[in-house]
Amino acid sequence: MVGTATIGRTLRPGRKVARRRLEPFAAASYVTVTLFGLFCLVPLWMIVAGSLTDESVLGLNGYSLFPQPFSLRAYQLLFTGQSLLNGYVASLFITVVGTLLSISCTASIAWVIARRLPFISRPLTIFAYIPMLFNGGLVPFYLLVTQVLHLTNSWFAMILPLMLAPFLIFVTVSFFRQMPEEILDAARIDGAGELRIFFQIVLPLSKPILAVLALFYAVTYWNEWFTGLLFISDTDKFPLQLILQNLISNVTNAASLPSSAGDSMAPVYQLRFAMTVLTVGPILLAYPFAQRFFVKGITLGATKG
Amino acid sequence: MAIAKQGAARTGKRRKALSSRENLLLLLLALPGIIWFLIFSYGPMAGLVVAFKSFNIRDGIFGSPWNGISNFRYFFMSGDAVTVVFNTVFLNSLFLGASLFAGLVLALMLNEIRGGPYRRFMQSVIFFPYFVSPIVISIMLQVILSGVGGRGGLLNNLLNVFDLPQVAWYTEPGAWPWILTIVKVWQLGGYTSVIFLAAITSISEEVYEAAALDGASRWRMALSITVPLLLPTFAVLVVLGVGRMFFGDFATIYAIVQDNGVLFPTTDVIDTYVFRSLRMIGDFGTTAAIGLFQSVVGFIFVAAAVLVQRRVQKESSIL
Repeated sequence: MVGTATIGRTLRPGRKVARRRLEPFAAASYVTVTLFGLFCLVPLWMIVAGSLTDESVLGLNGYSLFPQPFSLRAYQLLFTGQSLLNGYVASLFITVVGTLLSISCTASIAWVIARRLPFISRPLTIFAYIPMLFNGGLVPFYLLVTQVLHLTNSWFAMILPLMLAPFLIFVTVSFFRQMPEEILDAARIDGAGELRIFFQIVLPLSKPILAVLALFYAVTYWNEWFTGLLFISDTDKFPLQLILQNLISNVTNAASLPSSAGDSMAPVYQLRFAMTVLTVGPILLAYPFAQRFFVKGITLGATKG
Repeated sequence: MAIAKQGAARTGKRRKALSSRENLLLLLLALPGIIWFLIFSYGPMAGLVVAFKSFNIRDGIFGSPWNGISNFRYFFMSGDAVTVVFNTVFLNSLFLGASLFAGLVLALMLNEIRGGPYRRFMQSVIFFPYFVSPIVISIMLQVILSGVGGRGGLLNNLLNVFDLPQVAWYTEPGAWPWILTIVKVWQLGGYTSVIFLAAITSISEEVYEAAALDGASRWRMALSITVPLLLPTFAVLVVLGVGRMFFGDFATIYAIVQDNGVLFPTTDVIDTYVFRSLRMIGDFGTTAAIGLFQSVVGFIFVAAAVLVQRRVQKESSIL
């Protein structure tokens, strides 16, 4: 013990010297990571630049890193038209209502599993685990939503199917199980019922995991597009992702985006990019604040499996 | 006081045994989730009987007449079965290998970057693509590969600079497994590196100090200490990936390829095939049969993966 301590002391000055000298591998790391970072950012920047470049130049020169000549026409058209607003209303509704439903249901079922109740928790674990192993596939799901639940052209067709993610339930369970038993016991002694304990003690103490859940679900809902493709055909109800899908499957649809009828020459490509920017925008804005919760969620999930 | 103490003693002794009323209340709490699972997970499982029926809307799922295994025969007799199954497994293997490798390398390199703010910034940057939706990825890819109106594109402009002939990428099926793999690395590289970094931080600092004493370079330490200690994490991720091998990434592939038939030979996976036959042909029976085939084989993969994963994790906890 004494030996290691002295070694540690003599080592320290040496390590400082070693740190000052940049080793080849460290240098290579800086370069590679920076290049990969650019690789991640450049495609996004191309879209932003494209959305600000005049359509006539877009067609002639292709893309450039800097918007020239600078043009806000696409944004003007989008903000004066109706479909951007419709798209935002739809996406916001799906995201907000969906996330609220998801968090409440995930947290409650996870708590019941985490409580280790005899004859309840164990079967419930298996019940929630089986869908991770086996699923019915697309056709029965499609028939369920269209023929049984009659949710065609309803935003709930994009909310309900995604409401619970078994993986997130189990992440939440593992968080709940770390809760100190003493606090719960104290509440029980004071005569609090199980529901009261959950709502007034467990939930307020679980803000970190609730934030993780909210963010994972919110991004899923915001980016969701598959269920929209299947169940939403009324263009007035399209969320943003579906409007975008419509734009790439048919370029001429872009011309119909702005409702200003007198416009014969709509800048279709510029519009497409502007729409893309406005779709990614909210995630990009929330990202700096939310990122650490994602990291926490992944780490929890990775360690607890 | 005495009563309170007595109560405490009793709850302490029989904490788990709640009154049936309390149990009922807790079950009530779980009820929305239970109902959801019954409808959206277990309902479709029951609905799989469609695979054995000649389905028509009028008679519904359970009223339609049975037709044995002819739905399955139709799928396996068509040449498509071999192609889509091969594509699914081949593409998923490429995606898994490439994104794990990229994630591992990025994690090792991020670990070398000591400056706190810069490292945190780069981590945020490379993690971001994970949150970009498939449709947006598809639009970015068009910018790079085909440009405006199918002419040019960033990559072709680059080829021009080097006097190389331009390529019409969207009519070139051979290139697409690799293009999609690059997309996957873009999308998942940072995400995977976060998982590896979490594992790296749990490695004890003393190991590195001992290596530094012996005069090991950072590269040597990464290769001989970090990588071997990351193997269990790597193995778990491989196993989980293999478990998902039979389920294609529908969203990304369909968003990019859309209904571009030229690219189907190399990009059509089971999920996109099922989706198209449902939407275009509307043949519910055959489509459900393919879905059932996928679910069953997928289940075998996943179950095997879970069993192997349990073993790997047990061994790694000994390490």
